[in-house]
Amino acid sequence: MTHSLHRIGRESDLKEDYVILAMVARGLNDTNPEAREKLIKIGEILEQHNPTNMIIKPAWKVSTVIQGAFENKKDVKDVLKVLKKEDLGVSIVVSGLVSEITQVLKDIDLKPHTIHLSLGVFGKKERLPSEEILELTTMCGHHCISSQSVENYVNLIKKGKISVEKAAEKLAKPCVCGIFNPKRAVIILKKLTVK
Amino acid sequence: MKINENRCTGCGQCVLVCPVQAIHIVDNIARLSNKKCVECNVCYRNAQCPVNAIRPTRLKWPRLVRNPFSDVISTHKLTGVAGRGTEEMKTNDVTNRFEFGEVGVSIELGRPGLGTKLANVELFTLKLSKIGVTYEKASPLSALIIDEVGHLKEDVKNEYVLSAIIEFKIPHEKLPEVLRIIKEIENVIDTTFTVGIISRVNDNGKIPIVKNLEDMGFFVRSNAKINIGLGHI
Repeated sequence: MTHSLHRIGRESDLKEDYVILAMVARGLNDTNPEAREKLIKIGEILEQHNPTNMIIKPAWKVSTVIQGAFENKKDVKDVLKVLKKEDLGVSIVVSGLVSEITQVLKDIDLKPHTIHLSLGVFGKKERLPSEEILELTTMCGHHCISSQSVENYVNLIKKGKISVEKAAEKLAKPCVCGIFNPKRAVIILKKLTVK
Repeated sequence: MKINENRCTGCGQCVLVCPVQAIHIVDNIARLSNKKCVECNVCYRNAQCPVNAIRPTRLKWPRLVRNPFSDVISTHKLTGVAGRGTEEMKTNDVTNRFEFGEVGVSIELGRPGLGTKLANVELFTLKLSKIGVTYEKASPLSALIIDEVGHLKEDVKNEYVLSAIIEFKIPHEKLPEVLRIIKEIENVIDTTFTVGIISRVNDNGKIPIVKNLEDMGFFVRSNAKINIGLGHI
């Protein structure tokens, strides 16, 4: 599940886009009775630090992962500080710009353990929609957001039939993992609609 | 998936949400291409069909295989994880699946958004198996590889999915061979694919494989996933 890895965007835009994910390891630390309580606790910690989106609440009781999207480094740092202090033993993965995350970790005396690097997209790239549309659709790593849905909302915004904020909220809906960042989507939609 | 054409009013909501453009309005009715539909259930969950004309159908083998590779909510028996991937590096601080000197590779065919025929997987697995890679056993895709040569089950090859992830690990020294295979296949495949590379990070923060990747002409993107080492038993 490489779902937060290949988010497309310029470095300056990605500074406002982070995903924090917590996961228990199957057969190792998912079996103890406290594992669910720990995941729910992490959900509550994420919730207290201004996530722009999160996995839906009913999933907290069954999912092996809890995750949320964030728009700034400060909130990410604050979340990680609490998680370090709580020492719950659940694996934590942060997605975003390597330079920014590394700095956050250094500030709170943590070190990267393992990294998943993206080499990008290969093959028949000429079949893909525009880069700006991909910036939106790739925020759902399972690709549940269609390019024609983006185009539709861009048209509706241009016609004044929907606000940029409402369109971003509606685009986020198919992303059940809750890692589509609607705050970043507002910025991208604004760029797309002034064209 | 099935759209009840007798109920459909042709509003087009389902056309807009379909990630693989398998639905089109023809004569004011939504028509679903069974060939292109990847059984992701996105239309069922998100089109808000005003007349409830969209209904999932009971899938039979081999069409059944489309669902776990396309529907994020579908949990595969092998992985225990919702979605089409595995824990990979996300729990590496607990599992130690990837040690120093090893490289994990994830090749996701059909991403971002074009989808793929499962036959495309074999383009990779026939070459990767030849150089001796260790496939991730918990991956739903590994269950479809039937021999050491890298052949896929014959009856699934024509099935379309939203994406399929080939997950494997290799010793660091084999990375150039894998990168060569990626370059070869990029020129012949009819869809897109993404590539991810997993590595342990040295105590000094250095990632030893980055230089190898750049030397081979690959561009390492500035955003990544980082396991921060808080997991333990």
